[in-house]
Amino acid sequence: MRLSEIPRTTSFRLSVLFLALFGCASLALFAFIYWQTSGYLTSSVDERLERDAQGYLSNPGETIARLRKHVELDPQNVHPFGLFAPDGRHIAGNLTTLPRLSPPLGRPFEFRLEDGGRLLPYRAFALRMPPDELLVLSESIYETEELRELLRNAMAWGGVFLLVVGLAGAGITGLGAVRRINAVTGAIERVVTGDLSGRLPMNRGAGDLDRLSLLVNRMLDDIERLMGEVKGVADDIAHDLRTPLTRLLAGLERARRRSEASPAAAAAEYERAVEEAIRETRDVLGTFNALLRIAEVEDSARRAGFARVDLGIIAADVAEFQAPVAEEKGVALEFERPQPPLEAPLTLLGDPSLLFEAIGNLVENAIKFTPSGGRIVVRAFAAKGRIAVWVSDTGPGIPEHERDAVLRRFHRLEKSRHTPGSGLGLSLVAAVARLHGLDLKIEGANPGCRVILSAGAPTAAAS
Amino acid sequence: MARVLVVEDDPPTAAEISAALKDHGFEVECAATGGEAVARAAATHFSAIVLDRMLPGDLDGLEVLAALRGRGIDCPVLILSALSAVDERVRGLRAGGDDYLTKPFESLELTARIEVLLRRGAGEERATRLKVGDLEVDLISRRVWRAAASVELLPREYQLLEYLMRHAGQVITRTMLFEHVWQYRYEPRTNVIDVHMGKLRRKLDEGGRPPMIRTVRGSGYVLRAAE
Repeated sequence: MRLSEIPRTTSFRLSVLFLALFGCASLALFAFIYWQTSGYLTSSVDERLERDAQGYLSNPGETIARLRKHVELDPQNVHPFGLFAPDGRHIAGNLTTLPRLSPPLGRPFEFRLEDGGRLLPYRAFALRMPPDELLVLSESIYETEELRELLRNAMAWGGVFLLVVGLAGAGITGLGAVRRINAVTGAIERVVTGDLSGRLPMNRGAGDLDRLSLLVNRMLDDIERLMGEVKGVADDIAHDLRTPLTRLLAGLERARRRSEASPAAAAAEYERAVEEAIRETRDVLGTFNALLRIAEVEDSARRAGFARVDLGIIAADVAEFQAPVAEEKGVALEFERPQPPLEAPLTLLGDPSLLFEAIGNLVENAIKFTPSGGRIVVRAFAAKGRIAVWVSDTGPGIPEHERDAVLRRFHRLEKSRHTPGSGLGLSLVAAVARLHGLDLKIEGANPGCRVILSAGAPTAAAS
Repeated sequence: MARVLVVEDDPPTAAEISAALKDHGFEVECAATGGEAVARAAATHFSAIVLDRMLPGDLDGLEVLAALRGRGIDCPVLILSALSAVDERVRGLRAGGDDYLTKPFESLELTARIEVLLRRGAGEERATRLKVGDLEVDLISRRVWRAAASVELLPREYQLLEYLMRHAGQVITRTMLFEHVWQYRYEPRTNVIDVHMGKLRRKLDEGGRPPMIRTVRGSGYVLRAAE
């Protein structure tokens, strides 16, 4: 963005708009003051003239004497008064010519009088004096005029000043905006070209642009994390699949080598290799299937097949299904459901097979990590308006800082690296939980850990 | 010999399926489109049909199924699908399918299921007692005897045994056992079924009797009279 584009920035346009609004408001205020001031000055002149007129009217016999006295008191000719005959002839006073041939009677009027080469303004009041003469009282309003002109000039200069300062301010604001936008677009361009660690510049953090930048930066944080995860998952897939494939290849090559060395044992050697190859391939395929299943569950298309199911019954089935495995390992597997089923239905809308698989994965994990002599409890219950299933064990537990990470694909705790498993079990549980709107929480059970799946109020009434 | 029609549009998959079925001893014909499948099934009698859920062109799997049933062709149909969603399965079975198998699957899974479909309704459904060799089951009282000696089984063990007895001599896969006995639909990756079967076997073969349940290629079981 170039500097010539300042007038097109929003901040510049806003500044100009405010300048115009402020200008209009100032003009209105100024006009008000102007009219008020000049009106006050004029009306005080009028009051004085009328008072004088009353004085002359109340003593009609002394008119000429008073005029003489007045002329003595007004050597500057600031208040020219004059008495005129009906035909306009000057009789007395320092106003020597009739301003108008027939001036309006009883209300003020203005006229100009030449004085030392200049036409000066006067305000006057004419009245009929008995018997038939015309008395004109006037007062110079030169100063009032001066004041008005002063006010007008002040307004004009003030306007010019306002315009200059305002436009300059708008320009500076616009320039600032151009700089910010340039910085932001520059940062965005860097991100677009692949540098995901780039962030939008922040400016003290309070403005609207900063709020936007903050949001974009949070989004970039998420994108960077997700990209990292995708890369991590890709690396993990590559790593997890390379090992069995390498073993597979090594087994097949060994069979060929040994068969060539001793053809008599070839059949047995090949048979063993094929068996091994089938087993390894099954494992690899299993990993892929698990990944695809997670993706399928995450796509949430399964909602269409949801039915009202009892979480307690499913959990009981899981416990019953896994019981012999626990028993073989010397681990006690217990199922608890405190309330009678009729009183507290643990129903929710869901896919029974997915829920069975998810709870099954939790129990399987618990069996895998609980040492012989330990205890696993599967408990289905309703409490505080929520329904929940938890699986708690007396295994080594999951460290607090790892509890989010274990839900990620292929994540395995360092100490469980050597145990069999794909590292996908909990990812599937998380996906199933998300699909069903269940909360998945991992807590320490001291010893061991407790994984809780819970949902909002039982909605049995809704069915 | 049983004749099976394979309706599958992808040639390599069709070749794999027909090879597996031929190796098992079936006579196999293939159709690549829905129209062809309906025409062939109308012309010849098939013992069973393996039908891909997704077919190109005007007729997809479910429409082919509807067309077949509409023409009074009521041979068992096994639907193959890449979609494992529950409602997909329900739709397939509701449209008149007899079983539903999600791709990818192992050949043993396919042949075992077709065998079960072929022998379904062979007449033993109404029997109240099943007998295989010296093993006897009372379906009403749910009691089991081996060589006249009573065998105590847990309910699940009894269900597993009854299913195997009903299909004595046929290969039953772990997944089939799981689906039939536990009534949930997914492929358990673990050996939990094996552990259950191990307990059942130990109880049946107690006292050193010859084993009756044999493991087939690591993924299925077959129950036969002990030799």
